[in-house]
Amino acid sequence: MSSNLALLFHIAWRHLVVRRRQTAVAIGGVAVGVGFFLAVSALMVGSQNDFIKTLISAAPHIIIYDELRSPPPQPGVRIYGGADAAVALHGYKLRNEVRGIKDWQAILRTVNDTPGAIGSPSLSGAVTLRLGGREEPLGIVGIEPGLESKVSDVADKLRAGSLDDLERAQGGVIVGEELARRLGLNMGDIVNATAASGTTKPLRIVGLVKKGNTMIGQSSGYMLLREAQSLLARPFIINRIGVRLTDAYAADDVAHALESRYAYKAESWQERSSDFLSFLVTRNVIMYAVVSAILLVASFGIYTAVSNSVADKRRDIAILRSMGFSQGDLQLVFVFEGLALAMAGVVVGWVLGTALMEALGSLKFPVSGEDQRIPLDRSTRQYLIAAVASLLSGGIAAWLPARKAARVDPVDILRGAI
Amino acid sequence: MSSPGASPPVLACTGLGRTLPADPPVTLVRDVDLAIQPGKFTAIVGPSGCGKSSLLYLLGLIDRPTAGQLLLDGRDLTPLSGDERAAIRLEHFGFVFQFHFLLPEFNALENVALPIRRLGRLHGAAVEARARELLGEVGLAGKELKSPDKLSGGERQRVAIARALANDPRLILGDEPTGNLDSVNSARVVDLFVALAHQQGRAVVCVTHDMGIAERADVRVEMLDGRVVAVKAQ
Repeated sequence: MSSNLALLFHIAWRHLVVRRRQTAVAIGGVAVGVGFFLAVSALMVGSQNDFIKTLISAAPHIIIYDELRSPPPQPGVRIYGGADAAVALHGYKLRNEVRGIKDWQAILRTVNDTPGAIGSPSLSGAVTLRLGGREEPLGIVGIEPGLESKVSDVADKLRAGSLDDLERAQGGVIVGEELARRLGLNMGDIVNATAASGTTKPLRIVGLVKKGNTMIGQSSGYMLLREAQSLLARPFIINRIGVRLTDAYAADDVAHALESRYAYKAESWQERSSDFLSFLVTRNVIMYAVVSAILLVASFGIYTAVSNSVADKRRDIAILRSMGFSQGDLQLVFVFEGLALAMAGVVVGWVLGTALMEALGSLKFPVSGEDQRIPLDRSTRQYLIAAVASLLSGGIAAWLPARKAARVDPVDILRGAI
Repeated sequence: MSSPGASPPVLACTGLGRTLPADPPVTLVRDVDLAIQPGKFTAIVGPSGCGKSSLLYLLGLIDRPTAGQLLLDGRDLTPLSGDERAAIRLEHFGFVFQFHFLLPEFNALENVALPIRRLGRLHGAAVEARARELLGEVGLAGKELKSPDKLSGGERQRVAIARALANDPRLILGDEPTGNLDSVNSARVVDLFVALAHQQGRAVVCVTHDMGIAERADVRVEMLDGRVVAVKAQ
């Protein structure tokens, strides 16, 4: 049986070798399809991974806010029953609660007890920087440098200075380099900051955040937690807990668990970026639609090549049938032709795709003064997907005309030959 | 029906008919009873359009009869499937047509080897040795590696005969095998056919309108309007 397949493949092979130009065109079509599939998917998957990595690492995986998603039930409602009770209360005076996460040490302990999770408390608030009559708003984030550096990658985004410098200087602050430039501030300079409470304090610039890192933002500044608490006049209060997980994709589950336990809004990076993530899904749908169209068009080339081959070889088909080759044999000959074209196209396409990726990967783009390379994903998975899709569509494209080959009636050809 | 010779027929048909499903139906062959003897050269003759080629295709299992029976060694072939008929053609039948029908992508040796490889009883070097032997038998030793377009018309037809003989068939069927040859080559082919019948004991059946060939046949089957009108031993 296998020697028969070898014979049929041999016949198919000779047909292809003789029709060099058509063979080359069909192979070229598949190769271009596969090559562009590889390049485009490497770009798309690469940039997507890069994007998600940025999304994940720019900020803590989970941020617990001092907010509630639904207002807490009033004491009166709590006492007289739930939603289906006979009591409805309106217009009573709400108790004025101090903002901030209550009992945050307990939450932090719970976070740190969760396997693979680290929490970092922080206090954020707004201040105004004043310098020579000019004012700039600044969102202050008070952090514990030792903890914060484990939770977000702020430390990696610094142009100058380090988080630890906050500990060393009284009133140290790290601001965006863009903001510093606007105010004409340099490292070591002092600027006055006024909080909403009226407190004013001189702050010393001890670090600059690189521009272009929009996720961190150019209008936030980092201070020591206790100094921020005193500047914002909110001693001992924190209003955020950032959480970093070893497995970033567990963030949704952990966030739900934390929120259902403590009621404070716990936002995972997925929730925070849900619009981006759904945009990525759309992007993938578009990409796979375009790329499968490319592969489909490539299989048209195979269809044409095999179709022409069948039409050209009607005499050979007839004589082979009269010789004792079965209909199935003849069908296989032409399916083999299609598969061989697809296979050759895949191999050439792999080379082409790899070359395209190399070319794309060698390009450098200056972004905020640094050379950046296009993120590419060169996984073997893409190579396999391209190969399987091409062989499948090539096989089908060849099978359609091959059925015609099997149906050729030798009597018509043999008696009416030329 | 007079059947010359005593040996049992290798191929026989009774009431064989072929009607094309047109409107009105066209009958190509009707009610043919025939017995093909081994070791005999049988010629089917008749005016063009009398159905002699159609009869040959029915006898050679290339076409299916719409009436009657076809027996190979007494076995009824009528109910066989397409694949089964192909298998019988491969093993027991060798065809030579007016046109050589050699595959242009293969050289003489490879063309002869095709049916041997398809049958699959010989492998590797044995296939090539067998193909060389056959080409030697038809006088083409030394031209094994030539492609068909480098051979003369007579040589191509002899390659086709060698290919027909590839699996040592018991029946050789020829459809105007000398129709495209000059008289010299034509005579060589007829000599070959006579030798295949008389010396190798095969049944040779040729459709021809060449009376010179018909003269040399052992049995002459005359057809008219799709019927066999005479079977003459000579």
